[in-house]
Amino acid sequence: MLDDVVFWALAGPAVAAAVMVFRFASMARATYALLASLLCVGGLVVRLGLDYLGVVVVLMMTIEMALMGVFMVMFMMNPAGLMPMSMLHNRRGAAVISGGVFVLLAAGVLLTPWPRRRGEPAADPTKALGESLMGPHMLTMMTLGLALFATIVATVVLATRRGRYDRFGDDLRARRAGDRGDGGDGGARVRGGAGP
Amino acid sequence: MGLRDVLLRIGAGHPAVLLACLPGATETRLAVEAGLRRRGWPVAASPAAASALVVVGAAGAADEEWVEGLWRQIPSPKARSAVAGAYDVEAALDTLVRPAAAPVPGDGGEHSADHDGPGGHADQGGHRDHDGHDDHDGHGGDDGHGGHGGHDDHDDHDGHGGHDGRDGHDDHGGHGDHGEHHGHGGVVAGLPMAGRADDRDGLRLDRLHLPLGPGLADWPAGLVLDVALQGDVVQHAGVRPLPPPAPGGLPYWDEPWLRAARGAHVPRGTAARRRCAAHLDSAARLLAVSGWPDPAARARRLRDAVLGGAPAREWSAELGRLVRRVRRSRVLRGLTAGLGALPAAGARRFGVTGPALAADGDAYDRLLVWLDDAVRCAAEADDDRPLRPYDRDGPRGRLGGPRAPSDALLDALPELLRGAEFASARVIVASLDPDLDEVGAVVRG
Amino acid sequence: MADTAPLWAVVLLPFALVAAAAVVAGLDAVLTAAAERGRGGRPLRAAPAPLRTGLRLLGGQPRRTTAGDPWLGRIGIALVPVAAVLAGAVLPWGFRAVTDPVVGVVWFNAMEALAWAAVWLAGWGPNSALSLIGGYRFLAQGLAYELPHMFAITTAALGAESLRVGEVVAAQRGLWFAVWMPAAFAVFLLSALAMAFWGPFDHPLGRDAAGGAAAEHAGVDRLVLLAGRWLLLVVTAGFSVPLFLGGGHGPWLPAWAWTLLKTAAVLGLLVAGRRLLPTLRMERYLEFAWTVLVPLTLLQALVVAVVVLNR
Repeated sequence: MLDDVVFWALAGPAVAAAVMVFRFASMARATYALLASLLCVGGLVVRLGLDYLGVVVVLMMTIEMALMGVFMVMFMMNPAGLMPMSMLHNRRGAAVISGGVFVLLAAGVLLTPWPRRRGEPAADPTKALGESLMGPHMLTMMTLGLALFATIVATVVLATRRGRYDRFGDDLRARRAGDRGDGGDGGARVRGGAGP
Repeated sequence: MGLRDVLLRIGAGHPAVLLACLPGATETRLAVEAGLRRRGWPVAASPAAASALVVVGAAGAADEEWVEGLWRQIPSPKARSAVAGAYDVEAALDTLVRPAAAPVPGDGGEHSADHDGPGGHADQGGHRDHDGHDDHDGHGGDDGHGGHGGHDDHDDHDGHGGHDGRDGHDDHGGHGDHGEHHGHGGVVAGLPMAGRADDRDGLRLDRLHLPLGPGLADWPAGLVLDVALQGDVVQHAGVRPLPPPAPGGLPYWDEPWLRAARGAHVPRGTAARRRCAAHLDSAARLLAVSGWPDPAARARRLRDAVLGGAPAREWSAELGRLVRRVRRSRVLRGLTAGLGALPAAGARRFGVTGPALAADGDAYDRLLVWLDDAVRCAAEADDDRPLRPYDRDGPRGRLGGPRAPSDALLDALPELLRGAEFASARVIVASLDPDLDEVGAVVRG
Repeated sequence: MADTAPLWAVVLLPFALVAAAAVVAGLDAVLTAAAERGRGGRPLRAAPAPLRTGLRLLGGQPRRTTAGDPWLGRIGIALVPVAAVLAGAVLPWGFRAVTDPVVGVVWFNAMEALAWAAVWLAGWGPNSALSLIGGYRFLAQGLAYELPHMFAITTAALGAESLRVGEVVAAQRGLWFAVWMPAAFAVFLLSALAMAFWGPFDHPLGRDAAGGAAAEHAGVDRLVLLAGRWLLLVVTAGFSVPLFLGGGHGPWLPAWAWTLLKTAAVLGLLVAGRRLLPTLRMERYLEFAWTVLVPLTLLQALVVAVVVLNR
């Protein structure tokens, strides 16, 4: 009974907030409606008994959505509340795709012959999760971690035009980094002698 | 209403005061700051944080508008008073407290305690603060501004006292930002949309034109910078031309030297004290803008002790402690070094003299020059010999030339601000600390 | 070891936190007054200043700005105290917390991460450039402090081999974690300030930007935002006690008294230490955080992991 109440109290708002993502005309509102939806999902995961995963969903999604909000508005100094814009693009295609995916998933749920439960849930699901990730799948996780890290470094290297030589001079001897944030514009301005 | 009245009474007893400092009123500002400190009233950083407005100095016609803008933005209940001279500070501050708690009967609960006679109520039309419904327009509505579009209120709002009289942003079109178009849709909700322009990384990002000042805290009185911001990066900055200075007294910080030049007897100690206090005032601003309120407050207290005429032995030890503390802070150095680098060669080209030239470096170097100079002046604070009439080295540079020292500082500003982030821009302005009192004809002596 | 507190503790928690926040804010006001007026200026009389300010704001009127998004802004403002109280729920008082979930440490981290959303929303809501700059500043700050912070609390959990706060406290019966994880402890104190956007990390609400994210909020809105910030400071600083300072463990005195003493000491240290530092701007601090603090906390975690494996 209580489980049902909690389930619907989280599932209802999750779906409603997800719908609102596409109803809002402001990117900030859409982003935070998505966050609200994901927080409810995090609560549902906790209800499943997976405390760690649920709380981590809350933690990661909050940070992710806060950052995504920035990328969505990308220093648009016009708060999008001022500048209504639709969150819907490619309406027909999107409708077909999402409808198709929904039908596929629903069919999968209904048609799969689900196996009966064997064994008991672990006493400490967090520990079980850690052991299954770090035990048999250690190699996978290590590879994955390295690959992700390499991706991050590579993207940053590709994205920035400035390297350490721009920051610390050709002989890397500069006492302080000449960063643009300090009013320099990427080495174009000569510091020290020449003046403005 | 009983509880609310009690709250209002408590609130009115300790208002957070927003200062609207007008150029030419440095002495008054110092007196007001000292008065607020004695009473323990906080100085608000924005109209929203304030419950009282003190207009420091005599407002001319040009100032009326932004001061009214500030006043409109302060949430009620609020009180207001004006201080024309250093002598009536206490009385003016008292009026902020006295009748504020008395609500106007039968006025729909408006608790505005506006004690300023003339002009105070001039355009309150759009701003009726009815109890219980809080959706009044914090910008003061548009009703009072028949002549302008509503967007001017927006500017006014952002800069905390921009100038309503400015007509849109189109006058910035010619600053080399090609293809800048104003907005995806021009004006929305009465506010101009930000345009777009290439940023420093070659991305096309929104660019917003914004006036900074004159109502910002720890900001040179009267200075208005028109900046173009992308994110919080200043793409372009321009000093808004000042209205001609009102004929009046000498600029406060330069007064001893100018009077000596005119043949008056001025003791060297007076000049030394004035220079020491001017540097402490500037340093306090720079420290406050850098987010270090503790030594900033000490510098201000010392400044008032120096000007108050206390013998140097009473405060020179504390001055030494303050200077050592600031000099020792490697964090402060790490945060301000490299900001607003103005090498001596460049400084000379702008005609900069005084500490900013002597510093031959960045914001941190200028701070050190101020502090060292302040210590040096402390040694001469009790010197009774007369100031030589040809001694023209004022706190901000050489006086008596065709242009005031601060003119040169203002000329140097836009170049230094370009590409700086907002916080760095504040540090750079504070590290030059131009004194707009001396900009104008009077300094030529 | 750790039990769940009775139901009345749930009701009491917010009030206890508010009282603690008022005391800490009062201490800060006294130190500020001492700097402003000197010892002769009777700084102790400034102690009730935060309360007076609070009452003034309570009686003041909230304001609205043109074409803002007030509700989004208010959600952000309300999130600050809510996050503080929710995080405070796992804070053990003595050996009892309002709740002591299996993943209490992660819960605490998740709740303080709500501040990311809160400050940005508060800055976004009013449609004002300075306030939005303040909101963005917090996100930059989050990027700088969050990783070292996570590694620091992970280290404490690693030392206890548990994510349950009660067990982290129990693991420190002999030796406090602060003693053999000094780097993690120091980094945690720094990030406690940063996530409460207070002290040297107050740039999001910086005076240079006219109050940043708080620049346009008045009346009750402002009160909730600023009081929420003090609550957050109390909770985050208070969490260093169970994580690193042995929680309620200590000789002679009862556990609750030790918790109180240690929390007061940490808060006093932070409030007094704030006087020594100017506001850290993230464009300068980020490099330090990522090139010094992240490797430092990783090394600390490695050392602790080796110790735990050989135990």
